Parts: sequence; C-alpha cells; structure tokens
Amino acid sequence: MNKWMTSNLWRHVVAISVVLFSLFPLYLVIISSFNPSGSLNLTSFLPREISFVNYSLLFSDPRIPYLSWMKNSLIIAAAVAILSVTIGAASAFAFSRLRFKGKMSGLKLLLLVQMFPAILAISAVYVIMERVQSFAPGIGLGTRPGLLLVYLGGAMGVNIWLLKGFVDSIPAELDEAAKVDGASPMQIYWLIFIPLATPVLAVVALLSFIGTFNEFILARLFLVDMSERTIAVGLQSFIGGQYSQNWGPFAAGSIIASVPIVVIFLSLQKYIINGLTAGSVKG
Amino acid sequence: MLISIFRGKFAFALKVITLLILTSILVMLAQQALASSEYAIAIFLAISIVMINFVYLTKRSVPLKFFLPGLLFLLAFVIGPILYTLVMSGFTYQTGNTLSKADAITQVQKLGVVQDSNQTIFDVTIGKNGSNELSLLYFDSLTNEFAISTEKARTAEPESTVVKDEFDIPSSSPNFSALTEDELGALDAQIPALKFYYSDEYYLGLEGFQAASLYKKSLQFNQARDEFKSLINNDIYRDNGRGNFANINNPEDILQPGWRSPIWFENYTKLFSEERLRTPFIKVFLWTISFAGLSVLTTFALGLLLAIALNKAIRGRRFYRSILILPYAMPSVMSILIWGGMFDTEFGAINNLFGTDIAWFQNAAFARTAVIVVNLWLGFPYFYLVASGALQAIPAELSEAAAIDGATPRQIFNKITLPLLLKILSPLLIASFAFNFNNFNLIYLLTGGGPIAQLDGEIAGSTDILISYTYKIAFNQGNSNLGLASAISVLIFLLVASISMYGLKKSKVLDDFV
Amino acid sequence: MKNKRTGVVGVIAAAALAFGVVAGVPAQAADKEIVIWADETRGPNLDKLMSQKSDWVKGYTFKIVTYSSFDALKAAFDNATDKSGPDIIMAANDWVATGAKAGKLAPLTLSSKVKSQFTAGQLYDLSYKGKLYGLPVDVNNVAMIYNEKIVTSAPKSFGDMVDAYTAKKSSLKAGLCVAGGGMSWGALGISTALGAYPYKITASSAVDTADPMNAATVAANVTKYLLGADGKSNGFLAASDTGCKDNFLAGKVAFAIIGNWEWKDYLAKGFKMNLSPVPGITSGTYAPSFGSVSGALLTTYAATHGVEAGAKTALFNIFGSAVGARSYQAIEGRPAASKEGAKYAKTAAQKGFAKVAGITSLPQIGAILNGDKTSYWDALPSFWTAVLVDGKDPTTEATKLAAIYKANLAKGLKDL
Repeated sequence: MNKWMTSNLWRHVVAISVVLFSLFPLYLVIISSFNPSGSLNLTSFLPREISFVNYSLLFSDPRIPYLSWMKNSLIIAAAVAILSVTIGAASAFAFSRLRFKGKMSGLKLLLLVQMFPAILAISAVYVIMERVQSFAPGIGLGTRPGLLLVYLGGAMGVNIWLLKGFVDSIPAELDEAAKVDGASPMQIYWLIFIPLATPVLAVVALLSFIGTFNEFILARLFLVDMSERTIAVGLQSFIGGQYSQNWGPFAAGSIIASVPIVVIFLSLQKYIINGLTAGSVKG
Repeated sequence: MLISIFRGKFAFALKVITLLILTSILVMLAQQALASSEYAIAIFLAISIVMINFVYLTKRSVPLKFFLPGLLFLLAFVIGPILYTLVMSGFTYQTGNTLSKADAITQVQKLGVVQDSNQTIFDVTIGKNGSNELSLLYFDSLTNEFAISTEKARTAEPESTVVKDEFDIPSSSPNFSALTEDELGALDAQIPALKFYYSDEYYLGLEGFQAASLYKKSLQFNQARDEFKSLINNDIYRDNGRGNFANINNPEDILQPGWRSPIWFENYTKLFSEERLRTPFIKVFLWTISFAGLSVLTTFALGLLLAIALNKAIRGRRFYRSILILPYAMPSVMSILIWGGMFDTEFGAINNLFGTDIAWFQNAAFARTAVIVVNLWLGFPYFYLVASGALQAIPAELSEAAAIDGATPRQIFNKITLPLLLKILSPLLIASFAFNFNNFNLIYLLTGGGPIAQLDGEIAGSTDILISYTYKIAFNQGNSNLGLASAISVLIFLLVASISMYGLKKSKVLDDFV
Repeated sequence: MKNKRTGVVGVIAAAALAFGVVAGVPAQAADKEIVIWADETRGPNLDKLMSQKSDWVKGYTFKIVTYSSFDALKAAFDNATDKSGPDIIMAANDWVATGAKAGKLAPLTLSSKVKSQFTAGQLYDLSYKGKLYGLPVDVNNVAMIYNEKIVTSAPKSFGDMVDAYTAKKSSLKAGLCVAGGGMSWGALGISTALGAYPYKITASSAVDTADPMNAATVAANVTKYLLGADGKSNGFLAASDTGCKDNFLAGKVAFAIIGNWEWKDYLAKGFKMNLSPVPGITSGTYAPSFGSVSGALLTTYAATHGVEAGAKTALFNIFGSAVGARSYQAIEGRPAASKEGAKYAKTAAQKGFAKVAGITSLPQIGAILNGDKTSYWDALPSFWTAVLVDGKDPTTEATKLAAIYKANLAKGLKDL
C-alpha cells in the first residue's frame, strides 16, 4: 500500500486534477448548449432546464444553413490537407534527400517566411484575390476555391518544414540501396519514400486539416454568402453580431462541429503522438 | 512490374497529358488576366507556365521537379504579400491616404463643387432635344418656367407644349423626347461627368436619373503645376509630400481624400522618435516576450509533469490520455470564446467557483493571468504528447545504469532525463515561442488586448502583444495606419527571426537538418 | 529521344496556347447590376425587399452581399478597392467620416421631397464637412426597462433607482446594467444622467461649442450615487455588460438598458414594455441616450462601375420614398428612420422606443466621438472601470474624461 501510495497515487492525483482542468470549460459549453435562453449561462453549475431548442434551431432555421457550413469546412479542410501534403511532401523529399545548390538557404528562407507576422498579409492577399476575381470569378474573392488557394499557399511553409523533419527520420538506407540499383529520384520518391512515409503524411494532413478547420480571420473576409461560409465563420457570427450574442446555438453548433475532429483525433491518437514526436526525435 | 508505370511510354504520356491540361488552364488564366489588365498576375502566370514546362520536360534540375509546385504557391501567397507589406511600410498609408494620387485628384475634383445657396434641386427628365443633343427637361422653380438645358445652352419651353407625367413632372415636348430605360442605363457611366448649362455661374448636375441640382466649381486643378486653386478665396493647395494637397499658407488645411505617398523610413524612425508611439511599443514588446516565454514555460512544465506521471502503465492511463488531449482536439476558436465568458466578473464561472469577484479583464495583472491560464489550457496537451514520446525515446539503459551507480530518481531526472529532453525538444520549444509571439487569435478573441487605460491616453492594452497591437493600428475603426503597422510587422519579423535563428544555431538543429 | 521531346514541347505549347486563347476570351459584360453590402441582420431584410418588387430602378438588378457580422463587413469595406467594392453599403453613421475622408464614399443631394422624410438631425448624422453621403434607413436606440416584481413604480429620478436597489440589495446582483449597446454606446444615458456629456446640442440642433462636461459635478454625482462609504462601488451599476440580459431576465437586476433590436426576447419572458429614458438627478428630468441612424451610403465605386446614377436613383426610390420605407419597415424590427416608415410601427415596443427617442436623444456625431487621440468609445468604458472596478478617485478620473471630451469636441467641430 505504502509503495503504491508513493509510486502511483501522485500520478493519479496529477492526472485527475489536470483532467478536471481540461473538462471544466467543455462541461460549461455542454450545459450552455441545452440552455434555451440563448446565453452562456454560467450562473449555476447544474442545468436548470434541459432543452434541445438550440440544436433543433441549427437544423430547422432556413437562415442558418448549418449543414452547408459543416460541409464547406470539411471539404475545404480536407482539400487543403490532401493537396498541401501532396505538394509539401515532394518539396520535403527534395530538401531531405537531394543535393543541390542553395539547399541550406532555401531551408532557412522557408523557416524565416513562416515567422513573418501574417496578419497584415490579409490586405495583400485580399488585393491579389480581388484582382484574380476580376478575370477569373470562379477562383477569386468570395469563392471556396479561392480560399483554398490562399490556404494552400499559407500551409506550404509549415508543412514542408514539418514534413522535412519526418522525412529525415525515415532511414535513408533503403533509398540509397535503390539508388545503387539505378533508380531515378522520381522512382525512389514514388516507390520507396511514399509508402514508407504514408503514416507520417497522414498525421501532417490531419494537423493541417484541424488548422484549416479553425481558421476564421481570412474565411470571414473571403466567404461572404451565407451558404458558402465555413463553420468557424458561421459560429462566430452567432456571437460576433453588432448587437447580440447567441451563445446557445453557438455552443450547440460548436459541440457538433467538434465531434468529427475529436473522434478522428482520439482514434488516431497513437499515430499522432508518434508523428508529433518523429519530427523532433531522431534515432 | 510497378517500376514500369513510372518509366517508359505510359509514364511519359501521362506526364504530357497532365502538363497539357495544366498549361492550358494557366494559359487561359494568363490570357484573361491580360485582357483585364492585371499585368503582374499575367506575368506571374506566364513565368509559371514557362517554368513548369521547362522543369518537367527537361532534365536540367531534378530537385526543382520536386519543389516547384510548393515554390509557386509560396511565391504567390506568402512571399508576394510579405514584399507588399515591406513596400507599404515605406508609404503614408492610413485612413484618408489609401488611394493612388490620380484617384485622389479625381475625388478632390468631384468634391470640389458647391451648391447654390438655396440648394436648389429640380425634378428632371433626361432625353434628346430637337437637334439630337443630350438634354434635360424640367420645371425651373426659381424662374417658374419650363426649360430645356443642353451642355451648351438653356432654353425656356412654353408650358402649353410640355407633356407631364402622372407625378406632374414634365416628360416630353415638341423639342424634347425622353430616353428609354435601356438608353439611360447605357448612359450611366457618363452621368457623373455630365454638366448641363444653367447660367454662366451654375450648371446642372444629375442626381440619379430623375433629379438635378445647381452646382458651381469651387476647386480648380492645374495639371501642369500640380496644384489646386480655390475659386472661392483663391487659396493654393500643393502636394505636401505626405500624400495630401495642403494650403500653402496653412499646412493644417488639407484637401481630402489624400493618396499613399512614399516617405521611405519615416514609419520606422517615428516608432523610436515619437514618444507617443515609442512608449507603448516598448511596453507591448516587453509583455510579448514575457507572454511567449511564460506560455512556453507553463505549457511545457505541465505537459512534462503529466508525461512523467503517466509514463508508467497505471490504471486508467488510456482514459486519462483521451481526456487530456481534448483541449488540443477542440476547435480553438470556440474554446477561447468560452473561456472569455468564464472569466466574466459578475457572472463568470471562475468567480463563481472560487467565490471571488475579480474583474479579470479590467485589471492588467488579472487579465494577463487569465491569458496565460487559457493558453496553458490550450497548449499543455501538445507538450504532454511530445514529452511522452520523447521520454520513450530516451534509452532506458541510461537511467538504469545511473540507478545502479546509486543515483536517486531526482538526480536521474535532473542530470539525465531533463537535459536530454530539452535537447530533443528544443526545436519544438523554439517553435512554440515563435508561435506564441504571434498568437493573434488568443489575444484577439479573449481580451481584445485590453484593458487599456484610455483615460490616461494609452493606445496599447495591457495584454496586447505586438501582433494584436499591430492589427489594431492597421485596422482600427476611424483611424487606421497600414503604413505604420507594416513597419511594425517588419520589425517583429526581424526580431522573431533573429531570436529563432540564434536559438537554432545554439541548439545546432540546423546543422543536424542539413 | 531528345528530338522527340522537343517535338512534344512544341505540340504542347501550340495546343495549350490554342485552347487557352479560345477559352480565354473574356466573358460578356453583365447586365447593369448594383451591388449592396450589408451585415447579417440587414442583408436578409434587403433580400426580402428586392424579392417584393423587382423594378426599384428599371433596367437594373440588385445583388445583396451579406457579411457574417458587422465586423466582417467593416473589414471587407476597409480592404475593398474599385475592383470588388460595393456600390451601396449599409453602414453605421460613424463610418461616414472615415469613409468620406478615405475617398470611399460619394456625396449626394436630396430633393426636397426626399429630404422632408427625414429630420435635420438624421441627415446631419450622415454628413461630413457639409456633404451628405447616404440616406437614413433605421434608428438604433436604447431605453430603460424595469422589473415590476422588484420595482413597484417607475422611478422619477436617478436617486429613486439607487434607493430601490438599496432596499433589495441582498437579493440582487446589481441595480442597473447595460444589456444592449455596450458600456459606451448603450451607457450614454447613465453617464449623461450623472452630467458626463460628450457634447450637447443647442435648441436649434447645432452642436454646442461650450465645454460639455463639468468634472466636479460628475465626480460628486458618481460619489453620491455609485460609490459606497469606502469609495468602492456600491454595487448599483454593473461595470460590464456581459450577462446583463440573462440576469435581468432571471430577476437578479432591477433596471436594464435594452436595445430596440432585442425587445422580443424581453416580451417573450413576460416583461411589459414600460420603457423610459434614464431618469436624471433632478426628479422628472430625463438623460439623453444615442438615437442614431444607420444609413445606406453611396460609394465612389458606383461611379467606377458606371452605375452611379442607378445607385443614387435606387437610394431615393428605396429608402427615400414612401413605398420603400413602408416595405422596409414591414420587415425590419428596428424603428424606421423616415417619417413615412415610422407611421407603420406596429407593436407597443416599437412605439415605446420611438417615444423614448422622442423625449430625449443625442445624435451620434462620428466626427466628435471618434476622437482626437482617445475616442469616446474607448474613454467611457475606461471611466466606468476606473471608478467602479479599480476604485480610483472619481475627481481625478472625471477630470481626465472631461479633458478627452473637450479635445474631441474641439477636433470634431473642425470637421463638421
């Protein structure tokens, strides 16, 4: 008993206290989502009444195309995840495995570019997309493909850098053996590297997915039509109105929106943990 | 077998088809860009087309085949905007100075008119007169007669010949036929510039399709001398070098709107020379460093503590872990907003829980505490996850050997585990610092940078970090200054970049990478 | 192989070029279209309005672009250039000064018929340097409501309210709080009751150039009504607006300032619309709150897009005509700005708010309020925090506030 006390009890105490810390806000969101008065009701810890009015509002009110928002977010986030990893993986492979002039400066540049505070770039990106809009309305301002392009550009730096870390952790022996056998870099990439890196690519794709799902500063500027908005913009509009805040539908909407991400996260947690550490832990 | 897909005719055909489609699309876009006079974009697309075909059809550069797509995206949406910011930082670019000079002159000219003292406005019909000239038919309430005005002349029209519509507005006469709706629509683009003769002093300018009022010019632009002259009092307004035409006798008296004008490094020097900008800048900078440092420290400490606590197969470990990563998995926009509600003074859950009545967001120290606590909640799972991974990566033999040598668990942790962990995780700690240095969403959504001691004339809030402060300067209601904000952005960049580069150099991470 | 490659390059180039050239012919110019930008409440209203009558301006179609929030609308307008900018924007009146200064708004002149639909004050709200930039659409104002279970009769003076609160202090969270409009816009009535005016309006509806606020009077009133013997807040006035609505609805607050866009929520909870302005210090007087119009503003992009005359005509036909005002009022919950529209106020609440605005209100003049260095919007919340939360000396803080108001008034007068 005594031994258990010293070796395990403190572990449980630490874990339980942090679990409570983690769950506290989530509990409040859940209560609020059942509060019919449309407010963030934090006046009592137990719900005074339970109602599903906030949930039903999301699916019945024609002014709140919740399902379209969800669909938009899922499609855009998935497209960004897949495309940015596809493009990023190739670059990461080049930076990791190929020798060429300016590689070091390229890497440094890539790192530096990420450190530029991107907030002001909003104006620049807006101007660019506005111009694109004037000749190619399908991919300019206010369109989902346009936003996708912007996100892809923004995700590139982070993903290449992240992926490079992972690529470095994949043993080079295999592709060196292939090189000796006369395989071209393209062949090494497709036949040896990609199969090996798939789990890692999936993790980066997932992180990219979550990052995109969360973005709202650009999205609220870019996607204007009610039915074209993403979930983050849609939900923010419940509480970002000029005069009113509707916490109830916000809470309900947030809970539903979080479910897919949390489920993916929990079911893939093993890979994610491996993936997150692979980037930094080598050998 | 598989190899054959990537070699030979099939692969070549596939490549050619892909390139063909891509090139076609890009050519089409470039063509449209050119047609809409978007030369910069057209040039970028043209270069992309040449690069893509050159890289993938020749064997000149193998690495380029891999990172060209990434490079093009990076150029268009990251490096381009960065350069744009850099350029903006050299201009007066603020509320009132956002147009080009040519546009500003057009606007000033348009505003440089005055109405007659009665603010006369007539109901008019737009049409053509007998000689097919564009003209207006109206009842002149100043002279009590019907009249037709063309650009050159005004003629009275006898009342008996004028036909009036249901609203008693003259619509036609023998000398005048109204334009159709389609003709009016087609005329719209010219209407703002049209002037119909009324008297030697005043002309009739259209207000929409159904009304016109009496105006005269009050400002005259002299193209050759690049100056405006007031026709009321003959004051001269000249380019003041800062994006406005200013009265040469009274520099305060400027014509609006102004334009963006190059001032080179003034936005930078202003930050250090003007007391009003320097003090908040330094204050915000110091808090930004503390905020980023404290965030990394607290999230790492809690993450590490958890990782150590759960680095043993105790009962419920899987359950704990699933709960502990929830804050990381939840969309952070939502979590931050909820935390904002929880910290409310009167009705918030935090004060309820502890029985206090702290005004969290109205007091600098408390607001800063709240920001750190929320960031801890958001960030500890990440370090818990990476620290768990790193702990497992540390060979067990090391600590076992130390234990055999008689080291206590505390000694093992301090001397072996922690240093190793820090070495492994240092790039992530640096990355986390850089991320928090620019953690805009948290500050923007949680405190908005406040509280601000506005009554003491402060412009930066106690929890404002450089990036949120910059955002405020750039997009502030009523008085935004993109030029100054861009200069601050560039400075932030130089700071973060040098701190990170120094850190990376110290930890020799870059050497390992290449 | 090498030759073959070159050949292929040639084929690709030729084919791509041919395809690109054919497909790249720019699309035909669209029909004359007027683009209106609006926030999340007014956008859907306009959509309805447009579906009711298709020919507001013959030969023109309308495109309503609805932003997710007022902030998003503002951000987009800040970034807009003539490529994508709107022809008309539905905006708050304090955008007028900024937009005009930036060259984004275009002036217009009203016929006497249209002008007669509005009060001089409303048009003044949408003017900058003597030029008018749009038409008033709806009126935003706040009014004070009380909980009849806590307060038996309508308070006659500010002191009555404090007394009512003190009597039931133990069961209440606060005496008075701001549920609608925030601690600066919504709280104006509270501050003017105590004597803190950002500016005053003369009988002839011009801005009074005299010093608007006497710091000593305000400090004395704050001490008397809002602070306890220990110099800290006596709990009567809540320093922040968060949760005000919930707590008022739950019977924890006696008086609340509510907005004219949210009265339905109070009605639904069974509250009577016993609305009034905030009572003044002297019994029987009332303190002014903002009665401010939102406007449909004409932009300079309309001329760039070649639809300025159409856009102007649209403004006159929709927001300046009887039929337009009537149709819009039928959809919008806020009181209409135009006299014709105001006739169609239906509910007791709409009438109540109109009555409150009629008793006393201050036009919202952006040129003064947006300020010299510190705006009114920032200064007043800071004042509440300083005296109610931080327990700072009311005289010192009121002096600072008075100095800011004075500087802002001086700057604003130059811009009017």
